[in-house]
Amino acid sequence: MEHLPPEIVLRTKGLSKKFGKRWAVKDLNIEVHRGDVFSFLGPNGAGKSTAIRMILTLLRPTAGSIEIFGKDLQKNRSSVLSRVCGIVEKPDFYLYLSAYENLKILGSMTRSVRRHEMMESLDVVGLKSRAFEKVRTFSHGMKQRLGIAQALLTKPELVILDEPTTGLDPQGMKEVRELIKRLGREREMTIFLSSHLLSEVELVSTRMAVINQGELVTQGTVSELLDREAMEYSIEVSPLELAVELIRKLSWVEFLSTENGHVEVRIQPGRAAELNRVLIANDIEVSSFYPHRTLEDFFLKVTKGTSEI
Amino acid sequence: MKLFWFEIYKTFSRWRTYISFGFIALIVILTEVVMKLSANEILYRMLRSLEKDFLIFGNVLNGWFVTAFIMNSLHFHIPFLITLVAGDIVSSEATSGTVRFLLMRPPSRSRIIMAKYLTTLFYTTGLVIFLGLICVSLGLILFGNGDLIMNYQVPTIRIAFVPEADVPIRMLLAFAAAVWSMTVVASLAFLFSTLAENSIGPIIGTMAIVIVFFVVGNFPFDFFRTLSPYLFTTYMIFWQRFLDNPIPWQEIAKSAAVLGFHSVGLFLIAFAVFNRKDIKS
Repeated sequence: MEHLPPEIVLRTKGLSKKFGKRWAVKDLNIEVHRGDVFSFLGPNGAGKSTAIRMILTLLRPTAGSIEIFGKDLQKNRSSVLSRVCGIVEKPDFYLYLSAYENLKILGSMTRSVRRHEMMESLDVVGLKSRAFEKVRTFSHGMKQRLGIAQALLTKPELVILDEPTTGLDPQGMKEVRELIKRLGREREMTIFLSSHLLSEVELVSTRMAVINQGELVTQGTVSELLDREAMEYSIEVSPLELAVELIRKLSWVEFLSTENGHVEVRIQPGRAAELNRVLIANDIEVSSFYPHRTLEDFFLKVTKGTSEI
Repeated sequence: MKLFWFEIYKTFSRWRTYISFGFIALIVILTEVVMKLSANEILYRMLRSLEKDFLIFGNVLNGWFVTAFIMNSLHFHIPFLITLVAGDIVSSEATSGTVRFLLMRPPSRSRIIMAKYLTTLFYTTGLVIFLGLICVSLGLILFGNGDLIMNYQVPTIRIAFVPEADVPIRMLLAFAAAVWSMTVVASLAFLFSTLAENSIGPIIGTMAIVIVFFVVGNFPFDFFRTLSPYLFTTYMIFWQRFLDNPIPWQEIAKSAAVLGFHSVGLFLIAFAVFNRKDIKS
């Protein structure tokens, strides 16, 4: 078998899964590099969870292969999974056991874990004071954090998270995102996460792959993919007429209109900061400047309008 | 071993596990106290027919007799109590979603299912031993020691007499046979548990099979009599044979082999199902 260069942690080759007559995932080829916070982006039902379940050996692939740390997953399941941790969909625990007991059982299935390691993991996610309470009393957000605690406990090199912020309130989403970024940065873990929220991907990821209807649409670095297409912005300016006149003169502005006292523009990638500078330099007050980019827009662009969202 | 310990820990951390032990304690205590209070009536009924042909003396209504009587009365109760855990041990992981956490860990599915099966057998054995201990100890306290007289209807109507000195070892063998019988019920519930994603289905499914097989196997019609050898329930009461005189070893060996074959077969199917199962929940 061909050995992967060390920087590639996860690679799928022609990975496919068929349920009945329907291909949930078809010929998926993705690469995750060491140290990436890699987002697997796609609308609901795109095949993200199916792909993740195959990577975590919960589903048997119909075709294709998965290599993790350069090893074939099927042939080296145990040694590979001892270096991987995942949360699929939502973190479910033994509700009749305490957080500590859950960590003890789940962590010890990977390696021997000591009490101070468990308490440290709980501390990182802010659950140390609830360590000996039954998980049944935990909120969804707390279970999500406990899920991350158990991921930390085994000191995995690759953490796979399926929609980690689903069902969380805004504060919970923010905390989990911060935690993910910290894991990647401070603990040098490679993070693979799926999401249907483009904003989330932009906030936490370094690289991404887009999947739709079971097939890979595109993959690359987040900045490369999101900047590939011209971007649309909505700008709240004063005075409006002077701003419109100024913007119209800029050669790299592809589209301009006004709506409800806002200027709507489409500009070439990487020009947003420059546009802001031009407006300010000409004494135009900029109250707000934000991109119009929804997952729907992005998908329509990358799938050239074939996406069903 | 570690996986087995975790399964034991999880099983015995749930209050539902103790329902069975509580139920057994309650029913045994209740039965033995009622029997003690109605001792004269029971003795009269027991000896009414026997005294015509036999000269009977000594403590007939003793702890051993009461134990055998209670074991005979729990054809459906003990299997039901076993299914509470055996039918739940795999399916509850699917219901709660913890199966995902479990199966993405380094231990193979084979090791996980083996640990769960061993836990099921441990619980089954524990439950039958608990029944034996509470029946015998309370029985001996309330009714004292004595020879065991058993009245058999099958294959012929007869009386079996086991001397007092032999009874403890015979009773031990009978309980070991009861454990062996209950292993089939546990294995059946365990198989259903690997197929289902909730606990109710395996419990109802197992009990439905046990009850239907028992009823069919005991119908006094020729058609059902021809089916009887093919039903595992026919062999499940082989524990009684250890209280017979002389002990029919050949019949016991056959029953044990048939039941063992069923247990192994059911487990192997469960093993294959679990290993090939796609976790979609």
